[in-house]
Amino acid sequence: MALDLSMPILVVDDYQTMVRIIRNLLKQLGFEEVDDASDGTAALARLKSRKYGLVISDWNMEPMTGYELLRHVRADESLRTTPFIMVTAESKTENVIAAKKAGVNNYIVKPFNAATLKSKIEAVCGA
Amino acid sequence: MLFARKARETAPERTPPAVINELVEIAEYISHLRQEIAALRANEITRDRIPMAHEELGNVLAATAGATNQIMASAEAMLALPDDDYRENVEAKIYEIFEACAFQDITGQRISKVVEALRQLELRLARFANAVKARDESGIDPTESERRARAERLLLNGPQIGGPATSQDDIDALFA
Repeated sequence: MALDLSMPILVVDDYQTMVRIIRNLLKQLGFEEVDDASDGTAALARLKSRKYGLVISDWNMEPMTGYELLRHVRADESLRTTPFIMVTAESKTENVIAAKKAGVNNYIVKPFNAATLKSKIEAVCGA
Repeated sequence: MLFARKARETAPERTPPAVINELVEIAEYISHLRQEIAALRANEITRDRIPMAHEELGNVLAATAGATNQIMASAEAMLALPDDDYRENVEAKIYEIFEACAFQDITGQRISKVVEALRQLELRLARFANAVKARDESGIDPTESERRARAERLLLNGPQIGGPATSQDDIDALFA
């Protein structure tokens, strides 16, 4: 199955520079429909208002972390199948396992490049 | 010190010498403590050094954000350039990137000042703790305890020093 380049993607990060970097990498990969939110609470509101093909979220955010957002998404009947990739600077094995148990589809360690992002999107959204 | 000496000289005869000596020791200890507190120069720390550290770090944050935005704006502008005069336009944007990279020199100097302020603070606190034989109070503030518990449970602590704790390849293996 080829990647659907028209699918809307939600980027969640409280650091605007990182949002901009991910936006540009996604643009490089051919994705044009990219929205962003600055934490889990704002992301949930966006997820309720539009159907997204993928969520790419940071972990460290306040007041709602990426991990909490993931748990909310997986607990919500209408959102639970939304593909979710965690992108974070920290990569302790126990945190990766916790995210996996909570239902994350893939996990990317910062810093990363377009090729890594592409391979994870392909793995999650099917290529 | 003066007070203790005077107390010894003018103490009524019925006061046991052991009590007088103990009072003198306490007075000497208090005097020593006052000298050590003065050496801390706490007012200077709170008036000058800590606000300076806040201001310098705030400026570092603003400078790095400003430079990053300029670099990214230049890169985005290059991506959107038309084919006409492409090289000339790209060169102009590259010079903007070079200019933005000047932040490193400035932020380096600012961070050095903050590091020096923290070193001074550390030296003075260590000297004071040693002089008064201070031991850390057991337990921690409940609010701090709650904050730590949440951070432990939900927040990560940022990038590890010396690279990621688990490599991307190892993480990929967990998802294979």
